[in-house]
Amino acid sequence: MPINIEEKDGVKVCYAEGDIDINSSPQVKKVFDKVVQAKSGKVLINMKGVGYIDSSGLATFVEVLKNFRAYGGKLKLCNLSSKVKSLFEITKLEKLFDISDTEEEAIKAF
Amino acid sequence: MADAEDIKKKIEIPSEIKYIKKMSREILGHLERLGIEESIRFDIRLAVEEAVKNSIEHGPPQGQSLPVKVFYAIQRDKIEISVEDRGEGFDMKKVPDPRTKDNIMRGDGRGVFLIHKLMDKVAYNKKGNKVTMTKFFKGLSGRV
Repeated sequence: MPINIEEKDGVKVCYAEGDIDINSSPQVKKVFDKVVQAKSGKVLINMKGVGYIDSSGLATFVEVLKNFRAYGGKLKLCNLSSKVKSLFEITKLEKLFDISDTEEEAIKAF
Repeated sequence: MADAEDIKKKIEIPSEIKYIKKMSREILGHLERLGIEESIRFDIRLAVEEAVKNSIEHGPPQGQSLPVKVFYAIQRDKIEISVEDRGEGFDMKKVPDPRTKDNIMRGDGRGVFLIHKLMDKVAYNKKGNKVTMTKFFKGLSGRV
């Protein structure tokens, strides 16, 4: 699960790739733990390359969000596939997360 | 969808997370060859992986590593998948709703909920250690 991170207009944009599931979730958590440790203020996770997520992946995002909130960091998600987005909707996590359709929209909205 | 004979198979999976994907790939391979659309394959993958994961994590008595049994049957209009472990079982009624205010920030507890949302029929045996899930293919929904 490679995650490339780029700085754009003061926002750390994290490009997630592949499946976020029980196998890859610990690695994903590790990457975002480092971002949390650095107390990054504005972080966007671009999910364009993520085709599949399971309950472990959703749990990882909830944990990451909690860690961001603990120090006042802002976390947004963008470019979710229709199926991945539907899981956020079914579980009502869409109400917890700030989700944008595109990266541009998300960066502007910070 | 391509014409196909019914496909039926029983698999025993070692009680380790690393074997889950191999098992789901086998089932999804059949579905892809039969022309089942990607969205339905996504739902089936998630349901079967969550069910097997639950069986591995919660099924075997403490300290034991017993295989999980998976049975699947693919017909023209549906797939039925059973996942059985050798644990004590669980009571579905005691599984909390992960969408409530008290539970929404919890890390775990969404697997069983998603199985019920994504599959058309979900049933448990009396002991609660075997779940049978059915998904109907396009245009033949079994929802009532």
